[in-house]
Amino acid sequence: MSQSDDDILRKRIGDLLANGLVTQTEPFPETEKEFGKILDQLRELPPDDLEGKLVISGFVDHPYGEDQQRCLECMYYLVHRKWCDLPELAVPVEPEWWCRLWRI
Amino acid sequence: MANILWLQGGACSGNTMSFLNAEEPSACDLVTDFGMNILWHPSLGMELGENLQQLLRDCVSGKIKLDIFVFEGTVVNAPNGTGEWNRFAGRPMKEWVRELSDAADFVVAIGDCATWGGIPATAPNPTDSQGLQFLKRDHGGFLGKDFKAKSGLPVINIPGCPAHPDWVTQILVAVATGRAGDLSLDEFQRPKTFFQSFTQTGCTRNMHFAYKVSATEFGQRKGCLFYDLGCRGPMTHSPCNRILWNRVSSKTRSGMPCLGCTEPEFPFFDLAPGTVFKTQTVMGVPKDLPEGVNKKGYIKLTGAAKAAAPAWAEQDIFVV
Repeated sequence: MSQSDDDILRKRIGDLLANGLVTQTEPFPETEKEFGKILDQLRELPPDDLEGKLVISGFVDHPYGEDQQRCLECMYYLVHRKWCDLPELAVPVEPEWWCRLWRI
Repeated sequence: MANILWLQGGACSGNTMSFLNAEEPSACDLVTDFGMNILWHPSLGMELGENLQQLLRDCVSGKIKLDIFVFEGTVVNAPNGTGEWNRFAGRPMKEWVRELSDAADFVVAIGDCATWGGIPATAPNPTDSQGLQFLKRDHGGFLGKDFKAKSGLPVINIPGCPAHPDWVTQILVAVATGRAGDLSLDEFQRPKTFFQSFTQTGCTRNMHFAYKVSATEFGQRKGCLFYDLGCRGPMTHSPCNRILWNRVSSKTRSGMPCLGCTEPEFPFFDLAPGTVFKTQTVMGVPKDLPEGVNKKGYIKLTGAAKAAAPAWAEQDIFVV
């Protein structure tokens, strides 16, 4: 995917979230088992089901929770590419976004 | 000439395999160049049956001076404390271990099983296994926490699954050549010369650790294995990236997370499903942080490191 493709897709995701796409931000996976179950759900989706990915992983377009967690600090976030490197997601993101697969 | 006797308890022979692959010095060099006399070893010993029993009895009685007693594998106590599940040379191995340890000038435990119990002692520990002087983190083990060999030293623990051949040969050479007094042991009786630094020390992925770039799948050459794939390099005391395996590589260099096999808790989390090759987290934060780092500091450091990460840190910079 080229940089411009990334930008287009990132904008599309941003628009979906800004327009009120309701996603499953809770429950936050407290254990590896719960985390793994969410990954399993993501793996079952058709590869092009973008909205499904966003919903299951609980994407929001702002920092989240008491600690104001955000993609910027997440292990899966590639700063320069503005990209979520979790294989089950693999989508362009903004640093101020968040999802419940966040880990540090 | 130092007499060495090597026996195996509840073991897979992995440490023997490692030892026999030693180079510089090799197992043969120990004999020809360093004056070691290997009285008996499970893979090298010639004596069988009554001849072996006599040799062991002579070591116990002092007729043959036992300078170094090396033990590999766990001390098996099952069933019901009898040790009958691991008989050797006509009696439970644990009885030989007790008497030979009392007779030896130095006792050396090789590998995780002999040091802390290792995999056999993982819950529910069906063989009722113990390490020589530890059971996991609990000081005591089979010989008891107050045990001292005739030299005055406790059991010298050389953990690992297996132990690197150089760790074994260098400690044997030090002891056999009268330099045991130079050995400094840590709280788990491991020689500090090998077990004070971390597996992470010398890891080629340190730059990815520093900039918080994670490897997310096996086979990736970029990224640190700690964040997602369960690597225990930052918390494990070993020289695996200083004293390379086969002189060329290490687990982390080849993309395999460190399993922490030189630490008493190995295998971690009792091998519960989902705990191997996956960093265990609580609310997204690793359960086990690099030694000496607290959660607050870790989160702050991550934010700063991510913000400062250069573009190359996110790329595969290795060239074949």
